Amino acid sequence: MPADPVQSMTRGHPTSDAQMAALRRSLGLDKPIWLRFIDFVNDALHGRLGQSWQFQQSVASLIGSRLGPTVLLMGTATLISVTLGLWLGVRSGWRHGSLFDRAASGVSLTLWSMPTFWLGMILLVTFSVGLGPIPSILPANGMSDPSISGALPHTLDVVRHLVLPSMTMVLVVFAQYVTIMRSSIIDELGSPYLLTARAKGLTDADVRRKHAVPNALLPTVTVIFLHIGGIIGGAITVETVYSWPGLGYLTYQALKVPDLPLLQGTFIIFSSSVILMNLVADVLYRILDPRVRAQ
Amino acid sequence: MTGTQADIRHPRPSQLPASGAVRAESAKPPPFNAFRRFVRGFLARPSGVAGVAILFAFAVLALVAPAFIGPAQLDVTKVSGPLLAPPSAHYLLGTDESGRSVLALAIWGARASLSVGVIATALTVILGSTIGLLAGHYQGWLGAVLMHVTDWFIALPSLPLAISLSAVLGQGSASITIAIAVTSWTSTARLVRAQTLAVEARPFVERARALGASNSQIVVRQVLPNVMPLILVSSTLTVASAILSEATLTFLGLGDPTSVSWGSMLDSAFSRGAVTAEAWWYLLTPGVAILIVVLGFTLTGRAVEHVLNPRMVK
Amino acid sequence: MTMLEVRDLSVTYRQGAHAVPAVREVGFTLAGGEILGVAGESGSGKSTMAMSLLRLLPVGTEVSGDVTFNGENLRTASWGRLRAVRWAQASVVFQGAMSALNPVRTIGQQICEPILLHDKVTERVARRRTADLLDSVGVPARRQDDYPHELSGGQRQRVMIAMAMACRPNLIIADEPTTALDVMVQAQILRLLTDLVSDANIGVIMISHDLSVLADVCTQLAVMYTGRFVEIGPAAELFTQPRHPYTQALTRAFPRIGDPRSRLAPGGLPGDPPTPGQAVAAGCSFATRCSQVMPDCGTRDITLWPAGDAREAACLRVLPEYPDPGEAAAPDPAVAGDVPSPADGPAKSDPAKSDPAKSDPAKSDPAKTDSAESRPAESRLADGRPTESRPAESRPTEHRAGTDPARQADSGQPAGQSAGQTAGQPAGQQAGQAAILEVRGLRVTYPSRGGRGPARAVDGVDLTVDAGEIVALIGESGCGKSTLARALVGLVKPTSGEVHYRGTGLRYSNSALKRYRRHAQLVLQDPAGALNPRQNVFDLVAEGPRLHGLTSDLNVRVRDALALAGLRPPEHFLSRFPHELSGGQQQRVVIAGALALEPSLIVADEPVASLDASVRGEILRLILNLRNDLGLSALVVSHDLGLAWNIADRVAVMYLGRIVELGSVEEVLLRPKHPYTRALLSVLPDTVADRAPILLSGEPPEPTSIAPGCRFHPRCPVAGALTADDPRLQLCRGRELPVISGGGRRESLVACHLATETEPAPMVGSSAEAGG
Repeated sequence: MPADPVQSMTRGHPTSDAQMAALRRSLGLDKPIWLRFIDFVNDALHGRLGQSWQFQQSVASLIGSRLGPTVLLMGTATLISVTLGLWLGVRSGWRHGSLFDRAASGVSLTLWSMPTFWLGMILLVTFSVGLGPIPSILPANGMSDPSISGALPHTLDVVRHLVLPSMTMVLVVFAQYVTIMRSSIIDELGSPYLLTARAKGLTDADVRRKHAVPNALLPTVTVIFLHIGGIIGGAITVETVYSWPGLGYLTYQALKVPDLPLLQGTFIIFSSSVILMNLVADVLYRILDPRVRAQ
Repeated sequence: MTGTQADIRHPRPSQLPASGAVRAESAKPPPFNAFRRFVRGFLARPSGVAGVAILFAFAVLALVAPAFIGPAQLDVTKVSGPLLAPPSAHYLLGTDESGRSVLALAIWGARASLSVGVIATALTVILGSTIGLLAGHYQGWLGAVLMHVTDWFIALPSLPLAISLSAVLGQGSASITIAIAVTSWTSTARLVRAQTLAVEARPFVERARALGASNSQIVVRQVLPNVMPLILVSSTLTVASAILSEATLTFLGLGDPTSVSWGSMLDSAFSRGAVTAEAWWYLLTPGVAILIVVLGFTLTGRAVEHVLNPRMVK
Repeated sequence: MTMLEVRDLSVTYRQGAHAVPAVREVGFTLAGGEILGVAGESGSGKSTMAMSLLRLLPVGTEVSGDVTFNGENLRTASWGRLRAVRWAQASVVFQGAMSALNPVRTIGQQICEPILLHDKVTERVARRRTADLLDSVGVPARRQDDYPHELSGGQRQRVMIAMAMACRPNLIIADEPTTALDVMVQAQILRLLTDLVSDANIGVIMISHDLSVLADVCTQLAVMYTGRFVEIGPAAELFTQPRHPYTQALTRAFPRIGDPRSRLAPGGLPGDPPTPGQAVAAGCSFATRCSQVMPDCGTRDITLWPAGDAREAACLRVLPEYPDPGEAAAPDPAVAGDVPSPADGPAKSDPAKSDPAKSDPAKSDPAKTDSAESRPAESRLADGRPTESRPAESRPTEHRAGTDPARQADSGQPAGQSAGQTAGQPAGQQAGQAAILEVRGLRVTYPSRGGRGPARAVDGVDLTVDAGEIVALIGESGCGKSTLARALVGLVKPTSGEVHYRGTGLRYSNSALKRYRRHAQLVLQDPAGALNPRQNVFDLVAEGPRLHGLTSDLNVRVRDALALAGLRPPEHFLSRFPHELSGGQQQRVVIAGALALEPSLIVADEPVASLDASVRGEILRLILNLRNDLGLSALVVSHDLGLAWNIADRVAVMYLGRIVELGSVEEVLLRPKHPYTRALLSVLPDTVADRAPILLSGEPPEPTSIAPGCRFHPRCPVAGALTADDPRLQLCRGRELPVISGGGRRESLVACHLATETEPAPMVGSSAEAGG
């Protein structure tokens, strides 16, 4: 194994070879890799995620304590970016080729081309550290200030802490929804049923709202849920940049060691959430599309 | 089966007098017709031309970098510049925490970033296209198995998977490349499979079969030429996201600690206090480089897509 | 009382810097209760014209002229005013109801929508009215909450009609309302629409590519070409006595079953329908394809001139100073009595075959006119223009190999065959001629899917195709005809049964199939789809020879195949890509690709279904010529009985996986025995003998649920008329019919328990007796 956790765990402590070997045995690192993989799958299936090497705590309880902040951050970011992206996408697609469309496409494309963590650092320097004339207006680290007490002040403080990380994620992620919704609307534009709706005497806005959007949403919904994997990726780096105490930051911490049981644990949680979201997308699609529902 | 010559009841067309006059030796049609049309269409899109120009500039810069950047500028022990100095006449884009020129680092970093992006994309496209084509064409058990494997991989979130992979494979650009390829081939495979299915449903594939084409001949002569444009488009877009992934993985500390790339620059900028020191030049330069190159690939890919898929032009 | 008056209506599309005129100076009037039919080929501007009336065209389209509707000029009305008129006063029935209905909303919601919008009633009232509307179009009201995909094609089109009637409009614009529907369903829909509008005194503008459909239901007819009305007048007169050469050609393009002049002589027009935006030269835009062109046609401006009672035509020939084009081409009901008997029909009605010299047009016409009714042919001769019934001569691309003595000596078969035909025998009846293709007990069953039973697509078929014979296989969509065609060329492996090629059973190993494919080739319906868009014509035609290793003389082979398929000179086409060709040319490339392998059998699946009427005849004639000149056999699959009359020697009528009637074309089409064949014939818009249409209820059932006994009995009008205790009804319901076996060459074979009961009154008096 190239990156040796035993070495990084014992770094700075004089350790004999025998001690290292004992440690390896206790961690199960002496077994061949395929055997370790089978053990791991077996344990995971039984809900045993093991002990973190780094925190000397059970992986399950670590994940449990970090789950909330991640859900808060990802939920907020997803909600905002989906709303923003779909709205922009509908408007861009309906009048594709217009100035609005070109501006929206250009901005979202540029933002999509940025590494998430880099945008995070730029926002951090600009708004939190304060750059030049811009004062430091938002907190840089963590999720809340421990010195603030009381329910309302605490909530407001969390919101203040949430602004920069969620803004970073929204800015990078919403572009995908713009693109999907836009092309989805453009695909519908030529549909004869829109001509029917126009012939019925509906206004342009009603044709768009009542006929084009419901159809264009169908492919978009699936993609939104399939993109949850990408959002998780964003969460890892954003949480790292802002030291947000969530699963992403935990992954980063586990990676630095590397703390394999913890890494495996977070990986399992991320994967199952993606699988869960795929199922949700499937169910939702069935509800939304009568053609699929019938089967 | 009665495949003898005697069965053919009408004469070979070549024996027919009607065609006698036109039997002149005439060359095959110009092969570059389609290519020329493509180039003309592409040149008509300024954003695509800009994208290609960006890529060309960066590629040239990365290739000629060894001519003027050497250990003297890159080796921490051999440089003598001021630490974290803002841009000046001598250091156009300032210096890093060890006193190296950020400009020189950024130019040198293009080599690692571009090569990892391109190699990972090549692996991705080869793997994804092959699996997608096979899964689309052979709809029996082979296609089902391949599709299940793909679906299984898609269910895995890509960054955590890449992190786990690099953690197992160890630090270094090779493991990053493999991690990127392993996590991104699925989308190419799905795309290619969908397009293969769409192409296979078109009557010209049935025509080819009726003319006597075998499975492999259908894949190579009918399906592949029609899937190729999509593969081309998808690979330019894949390079873009591969470069982003490379930066992310390197930033998380999974890259080769000894080599300079845009991701590793950002990693050291972040972990060595550039943020608190407000060393914006150190943060901005590699990030903007990534942004421009990714944008370049994306613009190029979209322009190619528009030219090859006239339906989108509308 | 004029409800709609259109004057000088012109529509111009903008394509970048180009202005593309789509409609030019169109004018007409329409009163309530009238039906104006507008016929034209694709790109003629007919749909654009219809959509421009309610300003339903894309943004940036320029419209000029006046559209006065109920006293209001719709072209200049405000958008708000226009929205109020839309649907409340003028509604639209679109083609393709599947896509014209919103897939994610129920049909009830979609019918209610305009009612709620324009009539401002409560939801309950709107729903009740929707139920009544659905009822009036024959869709059960309980289906209100169904989605479009849950209805059949015919039901969806009924829903479209109900929707159009929702706000009790004065005007309905029907844009190809029956295109893509089966013949039987098409007849149902047309009858429904005409009944409804005549009851409610609604004016209708009906757009169609099918002139014969319009002629049947319309009061007025207009024919469009390159954006102009080239002829307009009362429907019946215009159709029977067209004045404009284009209308004449179009009417000939629709075969009239029973008319000897169209027997084995498909009608068509040379050249391709012009595409909109194509530069139009001065003078008449039809001049390039016109058979009666005069020097002045290229110079004088053309407009509509009066051409008889309430009629106008845009042709110089209607002006007194020019010679009259005559009414040579007018189909004359009188000729109906002159149907050739099955024995000598093909020979007589196809002079090309009966005249071995085949070079002198003057010679072949008398050969044709030996029939009693010679007047039309003579008048055509007098005009000195090529006639449609001489396929061999009317095209410069005619393949003359048949006259080459050396060639005939080489390949005994075709020579012998043409000798036989000269003796007045159809190919199929020649003694000693072995079947080239024979299927026995063929079944193709697809495994069950989605809770339904297995689909018996082909459910027991015996069929033979003789050398040099053209067999037409006719049936509604879903009857299994395409599956059967694919099984014949080995693309679908039969579940049971055998395919024999020249007496040898087809094996399904890769190499055996590949060898078979040099002999049997497939031509598909949609030529645009059948050609790989990334290959040029050379590669497309060379595909087959390359696959079979015939590359030594590839250049020659490709050129010859192209020339045979009528693409001359071949050099002109070699480097072109499919999208640069017209539909007719594309289909010729497909045929050339098949010919390059020198097959002896061609299986063509709806070869002309996607082509324009004027092109259709040219492609059919090509298939006919290939048979006549090369001795090629063909099985042509179609939904169109008229096609069989145009080119086939024998015809097989298929219903739900079985052939229900098989025999010579004359026998089956003129003296149909099976109730199904009779129903199909009766709903053809234009047959020589006008009989009351027999409308079959419902739509063709699924091959997943085939009725026991006679598979047709649930829809059979004859069985339906039997009393419940009639023992014959028990027969229909309970006893399976045997598979039709044998050639059906001498007399037609029919799979019906009641066939003797249903012997029809002679369809066309004298011919039935002649046929005996």
